[in-house]
Amino acid sequence: MQREYIMHTMPNGIRLFFLPTSKFKTISIGLFIHQELNSDRGALSALLPSVLEKGCRLYPDYLTLQRRMEQLYGADLSTDIIKSGERHTLAFTMEMAHDRFTGQNGNILEDGLSILSSLITDPLLDHQAFRAAYVQQEKNQLVKDIRALLNDKVTYAAERCAALMCASERFGVYKLGRIEDYEAISPEALYRYYQHVLAGNPIDLYVVGDLTEEKLLEEILRYFNFTRASKEVILPQTTINEVSGQPRYFEEKMQVNQSKLVLGYRTLTGFRDELFFALMVSSGILGGFPHSKLFLKVREEAGLAYYINSRLERHKGLLLISAGINYENFEQAKMIIDQQLDDLVQGKISKDELDNTKQGLLNNLLSRQDSPSQLISFHLDGTIGGRNYTVAEVKEKIEAVERENIMTVAERIKLDTIYMLRPEHGGDKTNDEKL
Amino acid sequence: MMKNYKLVDNKYLQEKLYCFRVEPGLDLYVLPRSGYQKKYAVFSTRFGSIDNKFKSEPEQDFTQLPDGVAHFLEHKLFEDERGNVFDRFAAKGASANAYTSFTQTSYLFSCTTNFEDNINILLDFVQEPYFTEQTVLKEQGIIGQEIKMYEDHPHWRVYFNLLESLYQVHPVRNDIAGTIESIAQITPELLYKCYQTFYHPNNMAVFVTGDLDPFAVNKLVEANFSARCFEPLGAIVRSFPDEPTQVAKKRVIQELLVSEPLFYIGFKDVNVGKLQGSELMRREILMGLILDILFGTSEKLYNDLYREDLIDESFGSEYTAELNHGHTMIGGETKDPEQLYQRIMNAIKAMKKTGIDTEQFERHRRKILGGYIRRFDSLEFIANNYLAYRFREADLFMLPSILQEVQIDEALALLEENLEETRHAVSIIAPPAGS
Repeated sequence: MQREYIMHTMPNGIRLFFLPTSKFKTISIGLFIHQELNSDRGALSALLPSVLEKGCRLYPDYLTLQRRMEQLYGADLSTDIIKSGERHTLAFTMEMAHDRFTGQNGNILEDGLSILSSLITDPLLDHQAFRAAYVQQEKNQLVKDIRALLNDKVTYAAERCAALMCASERFGVYKLGRIEDYEAISPEALYRYYQHVLAGNPIDLYVVGDLTEEKLLEEILRYFNFTRASKEVILPQTTINEVSGQPRYFEEKMQVNQSKLVLGYRTLTGFRDELFFALMVSSGILGGFPHSKLFLKVREEAGLAYYINSRLERHKGLLLISAGINYENFEQAKMIIDQQLDDLVQGKISKDELDNTKQGLLNNLLSRQDSPSQLISFHLDGTIGGRNYTVAEVKEKIEAVERENIMTVAERIKLDTIYMLRPEHGGDKTNDEKL
Repeated sequence: MMKNYKLVDNKYLQEKLYCFRVEPGLDLYVLPRSGYQKKYAVFSTRFGSIDNKFKSEPEQDFTQLPDGVAHFLEHKLFEDERGNVFDRFAAKGASANAYTSFTQTSYLFSCTTNFEDNINILLDFVQEPYFTEQTVLKEQGIIGQEIKMYEDHPHWRVYFNLLESLYQVHPVRNDIAGTIESIAQITPELLYKCYQTFYHPNNMAVFVTGDLDPFAVNKLVEANFSARCFEPLGAIVRSFPDEPTQVAKKRVIQELLVSEPLFYIGFKDVNVGKLQGSELMRREILMGLILDILFGTSEKLYNDLYREDLIDESFGSEYTAELNHGHTMIGGETKDPEQLYQRIMNAIKAMKKTGIDTEQFERHRRKILGGYIRRFDSLEFIANNYLAYRFREADLFMLPSILQEVQIDEALALLEENLEETRHAVSIIAPPAGS
């Protein structure tokens, strides 16, 4: 049967989630520092994992650190900043081949934890500030990364839609913050901010792999029991807002061959809502799968798009529908999309659609249990949302969704923002007549 | 009892692979993985976008295909008289997909329930073609949108522009999906013709993995195949033009709306065509080592370039070795393509002169081994890669032993021969002037 995480709270307040399992060839570790998403601190937060990864006292530059990782059979160490609802989480993850397969005798866990601990608790400092050269270098890189969002037009369009839709909410800030905020950040201020966050913000540490609890606890106490504030900061929950007024339409012209349409809806239904699972099933029926309404109607029947899907921002209660179409087919595509949503409200859902979608969601849920990183992200997502459902609970709740629940929750789904990225001149280039 | 299978017991990975031969000539591989919830199966044919001129003996004449047929056929198999295949998988809780590469087409599903039903759906739909004028016409619209989506994708464009520059006549220079013009020439007759040749069991293989009994899987597959009649298939003869040693074009620049230029350099491999099996794999492993030593994150060049803001984390290198073509590609986003070009060329020259030291070589050898072990957590990785190697007469499970054998001298000889200055081309995507 499915094993669940064993949880321990360290004396300094860090929570350890350990999943003992022998089915993987790896040991995976994830350390997450949670923060409130804040437009003014977006850049500051995004800088932290990048700067920390570039050097610590023991491995003062990236080259040295990478060589150390190679000695550990190419262990993978990566950092990230996660925007999930109105949370902004610093992420440090490590994946290592288990000793059993490398023919080495048994220090991989200790080696991995000691490196991660160095990175987080013993950064490279010059007079109470991060090394200025690293801070400058990572500022340049992150500003480039923000600009590079433009390079993937599909993702760009979805980000633009969400940002326009939530422009006056905390959620409206991009996960890497605003370009204009980078310049003013000093190495001193960044370090002060880090100390503050490390001492007082909630920290979760995940470990998945074939290990004994006793040994793991011993190592965690050794490497992660650093001094922290006696009380952790309490982070606010993500706010869920209603649509105000008529849907807004935004159009951006760019040198593209295909128009990217994104429809942003508010569902008024967050992660902890009783109807959350009905919303999940609704989004699935609408556009989560190749058997979904949108895929069948817009792609298979009308041949208007290659990609069309719907997805949820589960904490913020947003539903985004994305499609790549020819600009002049907008009205037709929009009409078909409206009709599918209306069908949900009217309960025009076949038994097959309902059953198949539930099965598809269950398949996704169970499949995630076969990947260490997804095992971690599944649980982390619950932590961020303020409710850790077990796999069995999620399964039960998905299975219990009825047509009436879908009708109720679909009634709440209201279009807020239409975003269209379109070619600069007239219709889309080349061969439109063939469609 | 007569043994109708071969058992490969890999001590390194602690995995057992069962190899069956199913009448009339299909290779079936089963790798049991206990503890996994997911079952994954892939059914592949040696038919990719480059197989555009062929005959099956005793045919006299070659059939010449327009670009994009293998990919088109892949799309069309998902539809038959009974309707949409995705619906059938969905009803059994499976997630299905397919992909077409230069050399193969693969159909796959993963599921956590109803494995027996799902494997039959997979085997059935791939073996039951249904092409009509009407369905072909509709697919031209959908694939037209797919092509347009890729036209807006700078990373895809820089890659294909480089292939077009490296190769003068080899079909690898053509986009896998073809062009809007080439797919307009596709007819049901043409699809049936390709189907009859390339979708014969002799030209196909199945890989299944998950918590399964290999003999039960074999029985299911045998039962499915024994119920069908197969005409014997003559040997497939593929015709490829003689690719000259010289590249087609030294340099290609395309303007697309990007935040910063994209730069790739490629080297054409002119000796790879003589190799297959473990020789081919050996070449691939050696090139992997060479490229990692030249351009990897643990080496000086990468760190210098990063510090000078000439590259970002997208910078990387890869080597591709197929039966009749091969090439190396290096690059990423950069503000200064000219400068990056010089630095890459200088690094190659320098290594040819100064060689590789033992410490370096062993460190990278270790890294590749560990990375290989880690990837065995993924059922998709195992199945897809096993077949991709199998189709080149090589064996994924041989990687660790070949990796242990290779020597520095060999690597240096290959570097000298393969990264040859006279056989390189450059591809750049640049933002439009004035943007």
